[in-house]
Amino acid sequence: MSTPIIEPRSALQIFRNNLLAAPRRLLDAMFRSGKPTTDRTRSTFVFGNVFLHLHSVRTHRWNLRWTTTMGLGIATTAAFLITLVTGVLLMFYYKPYPDAAYDSIKDIHFVVPTGRFIRNIHRWAANVMVVAVILHMARTFYTAAYRRPREFNWLIGMGLFVITLGLSFTGYLLPWDQLAYWAITIGANIAQSPREVTDALNITDWFDPGGFQKLLLLGSDVVGDEALIRFYLLHVMILPLALVALMAVHFWRIRKDGGLVRPVDADARLESSKEETYPVFTEAPKKTYQLAAIVKGKTPVVGRGPENTVPSMPHLFYAELAVLMLTTLICIGLSLLSDAPLKELANPAVPENPAKAPWYFLGLQEMVAFSAFMGGIGIPSIVIIGLGLIPFLDREEQGTGEWFGGAGGWPLVKQAMVVGFGASILIEAFVIRFGWLREWFPHVPQLVITLINPGTVLTLVYALYSVWLVRRYNSTRAGALGLFTVFLCGFIVLTIIGTYFRGPNWEFFWSPADWPKH
Amino acid sequence: MNKNKHLLLWSSLGVFLLLFVAAGQENFGKEWRSIQKASRSAEGALDVRLRQIVNPTLGISDRCVSCHVGMAPGETGITGPAVTAAHKNVVHQISDYGCTTCHGGQGRATEKADAHGTVHFWPQPMLPMKYSQAGCGTCHSALNVPNLAGLEKGRSAFERLDCLACHRVEGRGGTIRPGGGGMEGPDLSHIGVRGYAANWYEAHLRWREKSSEPVWKQSFDAISEADRVALGDYLATRIGASKLIEAKAQFNSLGCLGCHKVSGVGGDAGPDLSRSGERDPGQLNFTHVPGQPILSNWLAEHFRSPLGIVPGSQMPMMGLNERQIDLLTMYVLSLRRRELPGAFLPKDRVSALRFGAREFATDGATIFSAICAGCHGADGKGARYPGIPPFPNIAGPDFLQVASDEFITETIKQGRPGRKMPAWLSAGSNEAGLKPEEITRVVAYLRQLGGNTAVTPDTNPSRWVKGNAAMGAKLFAANCSGCHGAKGEGGEGPALNNKVLLSTANDRFFVETIGKGRRGTAMKGFLEPSPVRRALTQAEIEAIVTFLRSWEKK
Repeated sequence: MSTPIIEPRSALQIFRNNLLAAPRRLLDAMFRSGKPTTDRTRSTFVFGNVFLHLHSVRTHRWNLRWTTTMGLGIATTAAFLITLVTGVLLMFYYKPYPDAAYDSIKDIHFVVPTGRFIRNIHRWAANVMVVAVILHMARTFYTAAYRRPREFNWLIGMGLFVITLGLSFTGYLLPWDQLAYWAITIGANIAQSPREVTDALNITDWFDPGGFQKLLLLGSDVVGDEALIRFYLLHVMILPLALVALMAVHFWRIRKDGGLVRPVDADARLESSKEETYPVFTEAPKKTYQLAAIVKGKTPVVGRGPENTVPSMPHLFYAELAVLMLTTLICIGLSLLSDAPLKELANPAVPENPAKAPWYFLGLQEMVAFSAFMGGIGIPSIVIIGLGLIPFLDREEQGTGEWFGGAGGWPLVKQAMVVGFGASILIEAFVIRFGWLREWFPHVPQLVITLINPGTVLTLVYALYSVWLVRRYNSTRAGALGLFTVFLCGFIVLTIIGTYFRGPNWEFFWSPADWPKH
Repeated sequence: MNKNKHLLLWSSLGVFLLLFVAAGQENFGKEWRSIQKASRSAEGALDVRLRQIVNPTLGISDRCVSCHVGMAPGETGITGPAVTAAHKNVVHQISDYGCTTCHGGQGRATEKADAHGTVHFWPQPMLPMKYSQAGCGTCHSALNVPNLAGLEKGRSAFERLDCLACHRVEGRGGTIRPGGGGMEGPDLSHIGVRGYAANWYEAHLRWREKSSEPVWKQSFDAISEADRVALGDYLATRIGASKLIEAKAQFNSLGCLGCHKVSGVGGDAGPDLSRSGERDPGQLNFTHVPGQPILSNWLAEHFRSPLGIVPGSQMPMMGLNERQIDLLTMYVLSLRRRELPGAFLPKDRVSALRFGAREFATDGATIFSAICAGCHGADGKGARYPGIPPFPNIAGPDFLQVASDEFITETIKQGRPGRKMPAWLSAGSNEAGLKPEEITRVVAYLRQLGGNTAVTPDTNPSRWVKGNAAMGAKLFAANCSGCHGAKGEGGEGPALNNKVLLSTANDRFFVETIGKGRRGTAMKGFLEPSPVRRALTQAEIEAIVTFLRSWEKK
C-alpha cells in the first residue's frame, strides 16, 4: 500500500480506509485460520476447509513413503479427475444420437480448438485409470491392507473397480463407430449369455434372465438409439455420481481406520526424520482424542500419540499434488503422441471381424469364445465373489502392511507367478494347437462345454493350487497370496492373447500381417 | 518432502510445456491457417478463419474450402498458393451442394490426407480428378443413353451438319471454331437438361430465310428426318458430363447387363452393380492390383483379369483395351446412388425410379448391345469362354430362316430355365427384364444383324413328325449325344431337353436344323455326307425328332 492510513476523522475517511484494506480483508475472510505456519494453523487449514477436511490433519510418515503405496490410489483419483474435466469439455460438443454422434466426434477432432487433444487426453486418462485401479488393487492386496479393520473398505474398493470398468465400457459406445458398435454388441450378447444355460435346460420360455439383462442394457433388441442414450446417461451422470459417492466413503474409511495400513512396527522401522517430527505430547494421552468432540469408547489411535506424524499441510498435499501432476503429465504426453481411435461409422450390416471388446475385457472375451456364460458371467462372478471373501477368509495378522507380508512372502509369490503364467500359457497353447472338446466329440452338448472349458479348467487348476498352498504353509494368507497372483497372471496372459494374437473368426495368428484379406 | 516438491515442480513444468506445445499446434500448426495467411483476397489480406459449407438436408459440413479458399461461396479474386484456385464453372451451386456430394472424400476433416479420404477407416475417398464426372452418379441417372455406335452416329451427324458453326458444345464451336466464320449461337453443352423447343427445325429454316448473316446460308440447310432423330438423341445426352455419357455408352456396348443388374434391370448371373462405385477400398484385396490401393485401380485391374482379382469369379476375361477399361471404370465409379432428400432428387432419377424410364436407349440395337452382346457376341454369332458352355450363334442365316419371330420372342421372354439364358420378360414380381415392345425391337434388330434374313414360311402344324422313337434314341446316342449330352442336357451344343425349347420350337425347326445344319457353327447338316460319319436319311432325322419330343412329357 502506498497511501498510508490516515487516522479517520470522518465517515468518508473511514470509507477510504476500508476500501484500501479490502483486498487484505478478503484474503482474511477466505482463509480464516491465517497462514499455515504453526501446527495449529496447519490443522485448522485442513479441517476448516470443506474440500480438504476429508483428509486427516496429521499423516503418519510411513504412509508418505513411495514404496508404501506408489501413490496408486491418488493416481487413480487423478486420472478420474482428468477424465472428469476433459469429459465435461467434450460434453459441450458431443451429441448422443446415432445420426449425430459420429459426426460430432469428427467435429471435435477437426474443428473444435484443441478438440483432438482433449479427446485424446480423455481416452488416455480413462485407460490410465483402469490400469491404475488394477495396480492399486494389487498393492492393497499384497500389503494385506484388507485386514481388520479395513475389510469393508476393500469391498468399497471393489465396487469402485466395477464402476470404473462400467464407466470405461459405457464411454466406449459413444463415438458410434464400428469399434464401438460391435464391442457393445459383444458386451450385450455376453449379458444375454445365461441363455446358454437356460436354453440347454429348455427353460428359456419362462425363465430368461439373459434376455432380460440384454434388454435392460440396450433398452431394445438391437444396439440403437435407446442404447446410446442409456449408455450416455450412465456414463456422464449415474456412474460418476456413484463413483464419487463411493470415493467419499472410501476416503472417509481411511480416516476412520486410522490412516493407510502400516506394519505394527512401523514406528521402529522409520528412520529418524530430517524434518518436522517432534514430540507433540509430553506424555502419552490417556483418553481418546478427536478434534470434533469427546466421546466414549476408543478410536484406533488410543494409546499412541501422534508421534511420527507430520502435518498433512503441506506434507501430504505435496505428495498428492506431485502424483496428480505426474499423472497429468503422463496423460498429456501420451495424448500428444497418439490419437484416440475412430473407425468408420457404425454399420449394423457389416460386422467387424474380429469384433473385439475393450482391452480390459479381452481376457474375458478369450474365455467367452468357448462358453459365453462361463467366460462372461460365470468366471467373473467367481472372481468377484472370491475377491470379496478375501478379507473374511484371511484373518491372520502376520505381515499386515508389508509388501508380500504373511506366510510364504515373496518366494511364494514368485512361485505363484510361475504357476499362473505357466498354467495359462499351457492351456492356451493346448487349445490353440489341438482345439477343444468339439474337435473330438462334435455332438457334445453345449452344457458340457459350459462346464468344461479352458476357463473353468484354469480356474480349477488355480483353485487347487491355492488349496495346496493353504495346506503347505498352514496359512489362509498363503492361499490368498497364491490365488490372487495366479489369477492376476492368468488375466494378463489371456488379455495379451486376446489383444495381439486373435484375428478374424477369433483364430490364432502370430501377427496381424497373417490375417486373411477378404 | 523435498522429493515430492521436486516431482511436483518438474511435472508441473512438463505439463505447462506440453500444454504450450498443444496450443502452438492448434494455432500455428494447422495447414489451412498457413494457406489462408499466404493468400490475398480482392480487398487485401484474407480473414483467417475456418470456412465450411453446411447443408443439413444433405448431411454435409464440407470444410474443403478452408484450404481451397478460392472455391468458397462468396470469395472471388483470391490469389495465393495453387490450392486456392477457383472452381471450374459447373452447373450446380457449390453453396447448395457442397463439395463431397460430387467429389467424395471426408468433408468434415481439416487435414489434407483426412479430407481427401485417403486414410484408414474412411470408406469413400475422393474420386480421382480424371473420374470426377463419376460424381454425377451420386444423384443422377442419365436416361436413354445409346451404345457407342449410336452415340457416334449422333455426334457425327452433329458435326457433319455443321451445327458447330454457331453452337458451342463442350468448349468447341461457335465463334471459336477452327477456320473461323462462326456465329454466336446458344451453348448446347447442357441442352439435354434444359430442353429446347420442339419446332426448332422450322424456326431455324425461318431464320435462315430472314437472316443476313452469311453463315446461315453457308452452314444450315435442310435436314432429313433420320438425321433429325440422330441429332435429337445426341442432344439429349448433352448434360454437361460428356465423358460419363461416353462411359455409359461403352457399358451399353459390351452386354454387361446380361449378367449384372444396374438399378434393378439386368441379369443375375453376376452381382448387382448399383452400388459398386462406393465400395470401401479398405475391404478390398489389393494384393494383385498394381499402383495405389484405390477403388479405380481395383476396378481397372478387375476388368483386365476378373479371376485374378476375385477368386472364384465366373466373369470371363473380356479382352478389353485400355481405353475401354478407362471408360468402364469411370462408369462403375458413377454407380454410387444414395438416398436423397426430396428437394435434391433430380428429374431423371424420379423418371427412372417411379416411371420406369430406361437408362439405356430402347432401340433394338442398344438393347442388344447392352444386354445380349456379352454372351452372344456383338455380332450375335455367339461366344466361347473357358469353363462355360458356349453361347449359341443367334444371328446366323440358317437359324433365322427356321426360327419364327414368335419362337425367338418366347425364347427371350421365358429364357432357358436351368441354363444360362434368363427369362427376360418383365412381369409380376420380376421387374429386372424387358417390356414386350422392347423384346419386339430386339428381335427385329436380330434379323437385321443376320443379314435381314426372314423366316421361311411353314405350313405344317407345329407337331407333325411320326418317327420311330426307339430308333431315334439309338441314332441320338450315336450322332448327337457327343455334343448335346447323353440325356440332351447340353455340352458343346445347346441343351435339347430344355422345357422352353421343346414347348416353343416346332418340328420344322428341329428337322431343318438337323438336316441343313447351321453355317458358321459346329452343327453340320446331317443330310449331307461327311468324312467322319454317314449321312442320315429324312426318316432317321424324323425319328430323332420324335425321340426329342419324348422328353416333352417329362
